[in-house]
Amino acid sequence: MKTTLKLFSLCTLLFAFMACSDDDGDTVAEFTVTAITPDSGTVGSEITITGTNFPDVSAINLTFGGVPATISSATSTQLVVTVPTGATSGAVTVSANGFTQDATTSFTVLANLVSGTMENLEAPQTGSQGEPAGGPFTKFSFETGAVTDSDTEWDIAFRGTTIAVNGGTVTGTNDEPARNGNGGAAIETGLFAEVTSAAGLTFEVDADGAFAIPTGSGEGWYNYNPATFTLSPIPGRVLVFRTHDGRYAKVEILSYYRDAPAVPDPFMDESRMYTFNYVYNPNEGETNLAAN
Amino acid sequence: MSLNKNNFLIIFFVFTTPCALGQEKTERDSILTENLEEVVVTATRTVRQLSSLPLPVTLIAKEQIARSGVTRLNEILNEQTGIVMTPDVTIGGGEGVQIQGIASDYVMVLIDGVPVVGRSSGNLDLSRFAIGNIKQIEVVKGPSSSLFGSEALGGVINIITERPNSDKVTGQISHRAASFNNQNSTINLNQRKGKLGYSVFVDRLSTDGFDLTPNQEGQTVNPFFNYTLNGRLYFNVSENLKAFASGRYFLQDFDIPSGTSEERDGNLHLRLDHNLTDKSGFEYEFYYTNYSTNEQTVDPINDEILLDNDFDQKLFRPEVRFNHNFSSDNTLTLGGGYNLETLNRSLFADEITFNSQYVFAQYDFRPLKKLNIIAGARFDNHSEYNSQLSPKLSARYDLNPHWALKGSVGSGFKAPDFRQLYLDFTNASGGGYSVFGKEVEAEGIQRLQANDEVANLAVDPNDLGEPLDAESSVGINLGVGFKKGKLRSDLNFFRNDFENLIDTRILAAKTNGQNVFGYINRESVYTQGLEVDLQYKALENLNLSAGYQLLYAFDKDKEDAVENGEVFGRDPETLETIRLERSDYFGLENRSRHTLNFKAFYEVPEWGANANLRVVYRSRFGLADRNGNDILDELDNSFVDGYALVNLSFGKTFYEHYQLQLGANNLLDFQGSNPLATQDNEQLINPGTQLFARLNIQF
Repeated sequence: MKTTLKLFSLCTLLFAFMACSDDDGDTVAEFTVTAITPDSGTVGSEITITGTNFPDVSAINLTFGGVPATISSATSTQLVVTVPTGATSGAVTVSANGFTQDATTSFTVLANLVSGTMENLEAPQTGSQGEPAGGPFTKFSFETGAVTDSDTEWDIAFRGTTIAVNGGTVTGTNDEPARNGNGGAAIETGLFAEVTSAAGLTFEVDADGAFAIPTGSGEGWYNYNPATFTLSPIPGRVLVFRTHDGRYAKVEILSYYRDAPAVPDPFMDESRMYTFNYVYNPNEGETNLAAN
Repeated sequence: MSLNKNNFLIIFFVFTTPCALGQEKTERDSILTENLEEVVVTATRTVRQLSSLPLPVTLIAKEQIARSGVTRLNEILNEQTGIVMTPDVTIGGGEGVQIQGIASDYVMVLIDGVPVVGRSSGNLDLSRFAIGNIKQIEVVKGPSSSLFGSEALGGVINIITERPNSDKVTGQISHRAASFNNQNSTINLNQRKGKLGYSVFVDRLSTDGFDLTPNQEGQTVNPFFNYTLNGRLYFNVSENLKAFASGRYFLQDFDIPSGTSEERDGNLHLRLDHNLTDKSGFEYEFYYTNYSTNEQTVDPINDEILLDNDFDQKLFRPEVRFNHNFSSDNTLTLGGGYNLETLNRSLFADEITFNSQYVFAQYDFRPLKKLNIIAGARFDNHSEYNSQLSPKLSARYDLNPHWALKGSVGSGFKAPDFRQLYLDFTNASGGGYSVFGKEVEAEGIQRLQANDEVANLAVDPNDLGEPLDAESSVGINLGVGFKKGKLRSDLNFFRNDFENLIDTRILAAKTNGQNVFGYINRESVYTQGLEVDLQYKALENLNLSAGYQLLYAFDKDKEDAVENGEVFGRDPETLETIRLERSDYFGLENRSRHTLNFKAFYEVPEWGANANLRVVYRSRFGLADRNGNDILDELDNSFVDGYALVNLSFGKTFYEHYQLQLGANNLLDFQGSNPLATQDNEQLINPGTQLFARLNIQF
């Protein structure tokens, strides 16, 4: 209650003062731009610009790297704008009534998050029937959204039920790709849409004797049902990855069988065949994973 | 004995015509309605009147079995309230008994009070037990480890054989022929002369088996035959010293396409009843049983042995019991014994021996005229796991001659079995995974590590070999009984809480991409619900009965996880992930929420004829998780719709000694469909209608 009263008094004083100053002169006061929050964002995201003495919205011309943006709401101290298509990183410029003012900090236009589905990624494996598992892993790059042969530009790799990340060291099984990136993995529980950020997660890396994504039924991403001989991705397991070059992505595996049948027939449907949804944030270090 | 020429002709007829059948001549008394003479021995290990007991007991009298025309234990149990024979359709053929929602692993089966052994993955095949020579079957529901020790968590099924009581040779010869070329011949002879009595029982069953997968090669149940031989001797040395000896042998041989599959079960049971005075006496019991199987699969082309799996289990058990009657309603029972168990199995490194000692005490008394209390406890000391104390308290209060309140609380336990302790198995043909029992896991892991087969350990090496605890349960039964005139009814609420259930866990990942599994105490589940039983003598010759069980059976941890929103399913069409609601969690596998039975037995004495109709219904149940979240939920395409089995039989007596019986089990030809079957390979739940005919000669 006290606080409210104080605030109220303050506002009243301020109003009185401003009303006074308005009365003082006929010239249009020069406005200032003090801050942009956030100072980065994708095209289409909303940005708030704060300052003082903003004139009426009809008089303002606001550009992101020269590309005009639409103001969705405005007061004399705050403008809310949408990052326009074609915007480039750099200065945010506000001009009105002959004045032009750049924001004190520059704005970085982020690349949009990429949502995709990888269908039927083949992950063959040799051995395993009492023999050590072997054969090359199938490597995947989030940047290209495709399988890759590159020895360095890969993020995650698949062999049978095993998933490797391009980070850490080889675990010691046969035919593993060398780890030369900064990859890592964290396993989250929830709906795919509920995992909105990679911030604060602990990322494991592959290490001698242990994959970052644990192997085995119920341990990592799948359950194996010996009664039906079926391998099912555990619903609600969201795999969050740090890519080899320090970007973030989330993955939900939908199926281990060709063409992702709703009810796989383990004897007829070809297995070691991944279908997964992913959301990739192509901006280095950006943890946002809330796909639009 | 009345075997004349005419009878021999009939015998010839019986054994040559596979469409003959029979029905025992019986006293028209205790098929369904209450009989004050009905006594049971399983509930207290003393002779107790069924209608005065404080705990839930189902009694199946000989007459009901005979009229129903069934010959195996599993068939008659399935028609009782709260007892379900679950088809293990995922494996095919095997059936498990479920009592109050508790699985077969936790139900003890006894013959004349001594336990049978020989379980396959925890499940005891009840079709092994021929019931042509029995007096009654007693089923005690709820934990009974206070008297019977390990395994008696869910209940105890006791098969009581018939004693000879006539100085003439009495008995029956019968043959039953049924669908699937099921041929069952039985000879049963009894005589009691002076101090000596004997009983001989021979049963032979053969069948072509049946197939639940018409589109696939091979049969679900291969043709087999089995023999059951049982001889019993009763010798009253004196008024106060009575001896009993029983030998039983069972042999079953499956005709599998290439190889052999044999099963043998032998028991030797000796008992001396020594009455010291009118009021007290000792019972000395010696029991030995040996169950063995021999499975061999050979390559049909080069006769190479592909699989050789032998299993040889022995149990030796001496036991002494002492009873003292302070007064007619006041009995103290004390007992003690020793179990020596051995198992020799191909999948174990060595022969394994367990031994345990136990003592138990029970006091059955009436502090008030209307109040009966039974308090008991048993202590088991075991060589391989923690010792167990199993108490039980039951009470019954008779409000008036019609109404009675009943309640019991008891605990049960199941010792870790041989497999969970000593299995040392690597499945070379199934992918190369390994399974180690608790006692051998540390050693096994070391061996694999020495061979460089372990990629990484999933557990702390110091935890390896930490002893397993026995699985345990606490069961509560609260009931009301009502009887008046032609009506008898019972209502019983039950709740069973299971702790420390043994589950598998991953010990290590192998370099071949497979895992090493071990065992751990982990799961806790509960079953709760209510049972209602109604028996009504509608007419002098018409007995009706109906039973119902409501059942909720859940895993507690999984229930919590669902309630916390931590369990997800997948939309079967879009594969989209969905957060499950509490109502989506169906519960434990193979449990029906509702089971119902209805029975009508009708007699026409002037024609020497009888008929009966029995209907058993179980509601929808699920078989397995299919969407990877490790619980059975509504999104799993894994449910068998509710179904009813309708059984019908007619019997008629000719010329006093001959009974002909005709019937149909599963009259409506329910076959069902296994949801786990793949699209083009239909799998049935039930092979369909079985017609039978039986001819019985009673003498």
